[in-house]
Amino acid sequence: MSEIFSSELTMSKNGFLFDHGSGLTYTLNATGQFIFHLLESGKKSTHILEKLITEFDVTEDTARKDLDDFYRQLKELGLIEQ
Amino acid sequence: MEKKSYVKPTIVRHSIGVMNKYGRPPATVPMSRLAGFDVKELVAQYGSPLYVLSVNQLRQQYQNLFRAFSTRYPGTRVAYSYKTNYLKAICSILHSEGAWAEVVSGFEYDIARDLDMPGDKIIFNGPYKTREELTRAFTEGAMVNLDNYDEIQVCEGLADEMGKKLPVGVRVNMDLNNPPWHKFGFNIEAGHAYEAVKRIQTGGKLDVTGLHIHVGTYVDDVNIYAAAARGLVSFYTYIKEQLGVRLKYWDMGGGYASHNTLNWAWQSAEYTCPTVDQYAEVICPILLNGPFGSGDVPKLFIEPGRALVDEPISMITTVVAQKRLPGGKRGVIVDAGMNVLSSVQWYNYNFQTVQDSGVTVEDTILYGGLCMNIDVLRQSAALPPVRRGEHLVIPHVGAYNISQSWQFIYLRPAVIAVDDGKIHVIKSRETRDYVQKMEQVPDEFQTYRTVNRK
Ligand SMILES: Cc1ncc(COP(=O)(O)O)c(C=O)c1O
Repeated sequence: MSEIFSSELTMSKNGFLFDHGSGLTYTLNATGQFIFHLLESGKKSTHILEKLITEFDVTEDTARKDLDDFYRQLKELGLIEQ
Repeated sequence: MEKKSYVKPTIVRHSIGVMNKYGRPPATVPMSRLAGFDVKELVAQYGSPLYVLSVNQLRQQYQNLFRAFSTRYPGTRVAYSYKTNYLKAICSILHSEGAWAEVVSGFEYDIARDLDMPGDKIIFNGPYKTREELTRAFTEGAMVNLDNYDEIQVCEGLADEMGKKLPVGVRVNMDLNNPPWHKFGFNIEAGHAYEAVKRIQTGGKLDVTGLHIHVGTYVDDVNIYAAAARGLVSFYTYIKEQLGVRLKYWDMGGGYASHNTLNWAWQSAEYTCPTVDQYAEVICPILLNGPFGSGDVPKLFIEPGRALVDEPISMITTVVAQKRLPGGKRGVIVDAGMNVLSSVQWYNYNFQTVQDSGVTVEDTILYGGLCMNIDVLRQSAALPPVRRGEHLVIPHVGAYNISQSWQFIYLRPAVIAVDDGKIHVIKSRETRDYVQKMEQVPDEFQTYRTVNRK
């Protein structure tokens, strides 16, 4: 899966996200921010999954399901394309 | 390396409604324990969904209500409105606290008698009472409040049969709310109530010794009770003068609100729900100004239902799935349906997470688990991310949901009572045997079985 940001996005330190293209704003929770930064720097989903389970107290199964859900959210919001 | 604590990742688009000038929606404080027990363990042991009663809280609700009224109107009696939740354990707890029984059918009357409530501690209301039920009620000394002329006639017949004058209460209504509650009893403004009392007194077979009004349910405007109390006082004054009626009791009915937010309310019940003291404070002084001296003060009855049992019962549910709706809104499906939470038609229930899911919330529609489009438990709730298998606790579900539940598609949940750290099952989870016990299938309908066997 390759994620490409569909528009120009800026995120503040506390997870406030501004989309310069649409003017819409979002909030990401801590885990969401973590994943977002990795996506931003062009990391692949397999790498992101690995990072999650090594850095966070979470099982691979849960992390995989949650990531799946999170990507779907981002796609639904038009923030990534697949 | 110490790992960072993890919450499910989420992103939420800012929109009107999630945060507004009144601040955030109610904070989603995780509710990992219920009445002192771990929610996950309760589910592991008793299944999900599950109703959980805090016995302590139920006793406190009763004591508080009784105190509020009896300190302001000596001799007040609380008659628990059975229909709100007639699980025998719940009625028993309230009876041990001193509650009488308010019943609206022979079925409920029998429950009260089974629990050893004597007839003279039972108030018999409702628009539909059979002749047999009325006979039993009069014989056992119950207070019977009459709803219509057909009932008056039946009771006059019974008085003849029993060879004595029977004491009765008359249920009245007034134009107090919008829409007005005109279904029950006789209307005062239209003169129907006066006509009815006059008709009863001149008939000579019955004697009006009580007046009853029930102004509605979830009435959070204490002024409506004030108007009802003033109406009762002036009506009593008039029928006393004109017809010589002497009341032994008056009954203000139920309707006192509980801490649940109605789904058309724009403010949470935390701000709008009056305290029981506020209700008592408007009702009691007005009634005590009635047309009587110290020797003939009518007894005051109140018939609370939801104000007693709503708050002490919570429901534990489990998330079974979530999805995105075409508009982008999140949908969460839980394992309880509106068949076991029928009050979702009135209330915006709170759905509390059990595990810590962070503070980022998203506007969510909560669906019940029934395969039925109208099974929506809440149109819009601010929920943090949740996963399949996690639990949501819904507080304050004790009124009407259990007695009005209907069996549909799934088996209905168990009800447990937590009392001083001890758990009692007060209603077991339904079984298929129990549900189908009254059914029969004639052999003629089963010919396909032999066909199949060939
Ligand atoms: C006659 C009567 N009394 C008491 C009640 C209890 O009402 P609530 O649960 O609103 O207190 C009802 C319920 O509608 C009722 O019909």
